[in-house]
Amino acid sequence: MATLVHVENLRKEFGNVRALDGVSFRVNAGEWIAIMGPSGSGKTTLINILGGLDTTTTGQAIVDGTDVVRLDEAGLTRFRAEKIGFIFQQFHLVPYLTALENVMLAQYFHSTTDEKEAQQSLERVGLGDRIEHLPSQLSGGEQQRVAVARALINHPKLILADEPTGNLDEANEEIVLSLLRELHGEGHTILMVTHAATIGRLADRRIEFAHGRLVQAAAAPLKPELA
Amino acid sequence: MFWRLVAQLLRGSRGRLAVAIIAIVSGAAVISALLNLDLGVQNKLTQEFRTLGANIVISPAGDAPAQSSSPDVPTLMPADDVLQTLRQLPPAQVTAAAPYLYIVARSQNIPVVVAGTWLDQAQKLDATWKLDGNWVASREDDSHCLVGHNVARRLHLAPGNALELHYLDRGVQCSVAGIVDAGDSEDNQIFASLRAVQSLANLPGQISLAQVSVAGTAPVVAGYATHLATVLPQFQVRPIRQVAEAEGALLGRIRLLIISMVLLILILTALCVLATMAALAMERRKDVGLMKSLGGSISRIVGIFLAEVGVLGAAGGLLGAVLGAGLSYWMGLRVFGTAIAPRWEVLPATVALMVVVALTGALPLRMLGNVKPAQILRGE
Repeated sequence: MATLVHVENLRKEFGNVRALDGVSFRVNAGEWIAIMGPSGSGKTTLINILGGLDTTTTGQAIVDGTDVVRLDEAGLTRFRAEKIGFIFQQFHLVPYLTALENVMLAQYFHSTTDEKEAQQSLERVGLGDRIEHLPSQLSGGEQQRVAVARALINHPKLILADEPTGNLDEANEEIVLSLLRELHGEGHTILMVTHAATIGRLADRRIEFAHGRLVQAAAAPLKPELA
Repeated sequence: MFWRLVAQLLRGSRGRLAVAIIAIVSGAAVISALLNLDLGVQNKLTQEFRTLGANIVISPAGDAPAQSSSPDVPTLMPADDVLQTLRQLPPAQVTAAAPYLYIVARSQNIPVVVAGTWLDQAQKLDATWKLDGNWVASREDDSHCLVGHNVARRLHLAPGNALELHYLDRGVQCSVAGIVDAGDSEDNQIFASLRAVQSLANLPGQISLAQVSVAGTAPVVAGYATHLATVLPQFQVRPIRQVAEAEGALLGRIRLLIISMVLLILILTALCVLATMAALAMERRKDVGLMKSLGGSISRIVGIFLAEVGVLGAAGGLLGAVLGAGLSYWMGLRVFGTAIAPRWEVLPATVALMVVVALTGALPLRMLGNVKPAQILRGE
């Protein structure tokens, strides 16, 4: 299977703090990777670098043949629009846009908007009847499903999910995880940061961090059944 | 999607933008009113200056031979020559015109200056006069006269009193219709009908001068005087420069005042929008960070915000311009006694100024270019 993500000797320092310290790993296309570790171990920093949101101090971070480290501001902007789909723990929806418009916003920055496609994307995550609702009118689980629809709308090469169920109750957590599993089943490549071992076990592999270093890369054991 | 985003931004931030909207509408209203006033004031002031009296005087040429044997009558000229020419002038431009024959007569053995004129024109040529009594409505009315209030005081005259005038061995009587308070040399004169004074002085068909009030700006009046001088070469025709120059100087000062106020209001409005936008830019850092993470370039993101500000400026400018038209209408009524009609060119000028001011006030949005999405999404 082709390598989609190739990270080589990646370092990131914030002043005197070394957030990532010589991290190297590969991710094949279609894999679901769980990135685990305690708070402050560098998981989110890694996700941000792979998504072109942050810069590195040294090293390589190649995604779909593009070395993110070498991209300028304009290149990073295009990279984010065309290759990455983000799902954040805090949902990060624009509060004054409806669910539909939040999805269309990603389309707008990618190329052109297609309202029908955006609507279908929301119907796919079970929000066909909530498209005209503002984020404040949606539950946390619904907001995260809007974020999933937004992440998928431009058919990204890589989905980066940072604690996607961290702010959800159990019922909504299961809905979102089933969506991720469904995406994985369709061949999407997912890098998911999580604290929860039970969620980590859903992935094909787990990459564990401690103090900015990769301490373990292993295939996940048996996946538990989802409700 | 662009305009949909702009509309949602405006809707979502209407509370925060209220201050900027109020500033823009208020600024636009005052600027629109001032611009309407500036454009309308020229006509109004010209009309106002016309009320100050005649602005062209036709008199005998300096080298003209004396046509009177009396030392009390200055150099004269034939009335018909002047009056026929004046009758041929476009009536729309001539507000008022009257011939004058000045003589020094006696009343109660006191010498007084008597002006024979068309009394029906006095009110138009000397609208600033204050009158105790009644105007004389007809130039054919030989039985009534107007008396300057200094003369009236000396002769103990009041409206309704009879007045006898003597010149050499001739005499005439009239009833005092009104006492004139002109605040000038007219307070020392008596105004009677031209025909009566010509008869009294035995100078039929003779006048001392003619006064004409022409509508228009100072250059128009000067042009008119030049034209009159061409058709009346035997007389001296001169514009009364004092009035024309005062008009020009006042117009210049008013224009300078209006331009200064417009600039001041523009600066104040821009500062108000600036303060609002600075606060809004801080609030929108999170939105910008998110939009950047979704692949939005800073130029496209700031473009949305600038369009929002531009719409704000245009809408505020439009509303303000309409309000300003009403304001200038009211100011015209209050200051000049007649409404100043709104000028169509003020509307686009006000809208354009407000859009420029709003965009200038949106300078703090440049800060958004420095937003780092990773920091924003981390909650920093």
